[in-house]
Amino acid sequence: MSFHPQMPYGTPQWHRSERVLADEGPPFAFTPENRQKLEEIASHYPPERRVSAVLPALYLVQEQQTHLTGNAMAHVAEVIGCSRAHVEDVASYYVMFFTKPVGKYVLQVCRTLACALNGAEHVTAELCRQLGVAPGGTDAAGEFTVMEMECLGACDRAPVVMVNNEHWHECQSPEAIQALIRDLREKGVAALTGCHHTKE
Amino acid sequence: MEKVTFTIDGRQVSVAKGTTVLQAAIEHGIQIPYYCYHPGLGVDGSCRVCLVKIEKMPKLQVSCSVVATEGMVVDTRSPEVVEARAGVFEFLLINHPLDCPVCDKGGECPLQDFSYAFGRKESRMEFPRRTFDGEGVRADVDFGPTLMLNRNRCIMCTRCARFMRDVAGDEQIGIIDRGYGSEIATFREEGVHSVLSGNLMDVCPVGAITTRDYRFKSRPWDNPNAVDTICTGCEKGCNITVWIKAKPEWAKGSQLARITPRYNADVNQYWMCDIGRFGYHWVEGAERLSAPLVRKADGALEATTWDAALKALADRLGRADWGGVRFALSAHASHEEMFALGRLAMALVGDAAQSSIGVGWNVSAKPQAGATRFTVPDVDAPNVGGARAFGLVEGERPTPTVASLRAEVEAGRVKALYVLDPGPAGAIGDLSWAVAARKDGRLPLLIAQGPVATDVTRAADIVLPGCAWVEKDASYANMQGRLQAASQGILPPGDARDDWRILADVAAALGVPLGYDSAHEVRQAIAATLGSEPAVAGIAALEFRRPAPAATWLQASNPMERLKWDFLFQDVLPLKFENTRDPGHRAGEKT
Ligand code: SF4
Ligand code: SF4
Ligand code: FES
Ligand code: FES
Repeated sequence: MSFHPQMPYGTPQWHRSERVLADEGPPFAFTPENRQKLEEIASHYPPERRVSAVLPALYLVQEQQTHLTGNAMAHVAEVIGCSRAHVEDVASYYVMFFTKPVGKYVLQVCRTLACALNGAEHVTAELCRQLGVAPGGTDAAGEFTVMEMECLGACDRAPVVMVNNEHWHECQSPEAIQALIRDLREKGVAALTGCHHTKE
Repeated sequence: MEKVTFTIDGRQVSVAKGTTVLQAAIEHGIQIPYYCYHPGLGVDGSCRVCLVKIEKMPKLQVSCSVVATEGMVVDTRSPEVVEARAGVFEFLLINHPLDCPVCDKGGECPLQDFSYAFGRKESRMEFPRRTFDGEGVRADVDFGPTLMLNRNRCIMCTRCARFMRDVAGDEQIGIIDRGYGSEIATFREEGVHSVLSGNLMDVCPVGAITTRDYRFKSRPWDNPNAVDTICTGCEKGCNITVWIKAKPEWAKGSQLARITPRYNADVNQYWMCDIGRFGYHWVEGAERLSAPLVRKADGALEATTWDAALKALADRLGRADWGGVRFALSAHASHEEMFALGRLAMALVGDAAQSSIGVGWNVSAKPQAGATRFTVPDVDAPNVGGARAFGLVEGERPTPTVASLRAEVEAGRVKALYVLDPGPAGAIGDLSWAVAARKDGRLPLLIAQGPVATDVTRAADIVLPGCAWVEKDASYANMQGRLQAASQGILPPGDARDDWRILADVAAALGVPLGYDSAHEVRQAIAATLGSEPAVAGIAALEFRRPAPAATWLQASNPMERLKWDFLFQDVLPLKFENTRDPGHRAGEKT
């Protein structure tokens, strides 16, 4: 790219960075419904703070196509009216934004103190064994992804597993997790009750 | 202006209300290190090295973010501060590669200097350092067409990101990941594409961002001379420093090492654009003309002496032809040159002098974000203001008038065209019509004066080699109508002469001497005739700089370096952190 006729500098590729980038991905645009949802959310912020809607916009991308891609981030920047670097900055900061493909259900097991003391690692191990993946991996069918997370904010009901950013499954154990996976396979999203553990 | 008085290190200082403790300390020569603060970028409060102790405040404070108030008592040297600050430096250096010997910033690096003055003697870090993209200079990665980035050296001051966001108005740099893994990055590694990108090297307090132009070219101590001058790339007229490499005359390579911006609150603040910063290579390029050229009978241009060239000129331009001489003047010409050319025109064409001169320059839109705080103007010439002051062009936003000569030239009514363009090749604008007219004979005589070989000089009958802007003392009026001095930094190549002098020589050869012996006399004559014109007011008293000698070279640079030289090194003893609690922990004593 040349900025000025006096400066025809080229772009020699001297050394590419080793930074792992999200895939470019297929062309991306919000569906009209998602776009409308985004505008609705953005209307909650003062117009000069529209950039605050980057977070919800990225969530909407993940609703639409499970994970973030280069094209999707560029589209978000365009829709929000901020720079693409800013979107990538935000997306890379938060762990709940996925820059690699994930399964339909993302099972996030808390591994922070309370959960760790109550045996979260056994829950993770059981999940991984059942689905045949390593932590961070997605099963062959592309249905489940297992991830280890830091504190999910429900420490009194440790260990906690969060599914898809919205459904908390509390007081989990290796046995309970078997049932959860079975239910998810059989009943789909209906199994995600967002259950808050009530019994003592 | 309301003032507050407070105490730093036992000294009473008085500063404008609203000044931060750090700014007050800088103003009064009290050493406090800082990285994330930059006078042009404001306060960020992220690097934590500017810690001071303030009485009645419970903890140490970051001085960049505390506004000085009446009666405040600040201590920058209590043992508590010294130890805490040394701790911050130790953390900054935990992952820093310390490859100063191969780092371009080495020698003018605030991280080096401040660490030396305020840091620990040695690192206690015993683990492998975190690296991005490889080790050593292999970690230098593409950062756009003008820059390279070495993330291992970055100290996450975010100055670069803030420069792009706040000054360039185009947030191309973000911080990827977080905490320990944070990296400075552009979207998908596409690099910084901005006409202000070179400033990122200036604001970066370490060698993380370097320019491809200056990378590995010179060490700071190899550029012992620096001259404060102005850029003539466009009508903004940024104040700059030209760095001159020490080099024996017989050695190959160029003398101009780099160009950096120089603070001027009214013109360019702390910044300059890439066109001015990187576009100087033509000055010492292969196309420079170093001897007068005269076209021989066989049609070839031949190098000759000034005497021979001027004589040839006088021979070719018979007195009868004088009325048919026209002048094409580039707006790269300085006040002195425009004035001398005007005088020459008066001597040759008489009353019609004004209309015999067409002024030319280029106009190009620069891609910049609308929110930018540093606009690079469209007019690619430094002295349209001068042309207006001398009455050669008119209007608030004048347009080039050189094409008005075209019809006359093409109709064959012009006996000789004298082209004066002291800028880079083609700076005068399109003159292909003159070249064509000379080739098919409609223009009998083409005289070209300028520093580089161009299509015009290649078609000309007589070529007079002039100086580039860094090779002469000259004055220009920028787009604000501000008179500025451009000072000489280096000598012109070979026989090339200062452009006003060439005009005087031509006049003398034609028997109509202008009567000036020095550029200063030209300036006096300008003052005498046009003294009240704002674009030239005070021209006779204009001061020109000389290359600053090695002892003060850093003073000529950007504010970081200027500060360093002004304040930091005046203190003889570095304020080192002594590890008194653990005296055994020293290199060599460790078992
Ligand atoms: S690259 Fe330089 S300017 Fe940018 S954050 Fe790192 S150290 Fe600061
Ligand atoms: S803005 Fe104009 S004067 Fe300033 S550095 Fe760029 S070309 Fe030179
Ligand atoms: S520790 Fe697991 S939810 Fe807080
Ligand atoms: S300069 Fe004060 S925190 Fe960086």
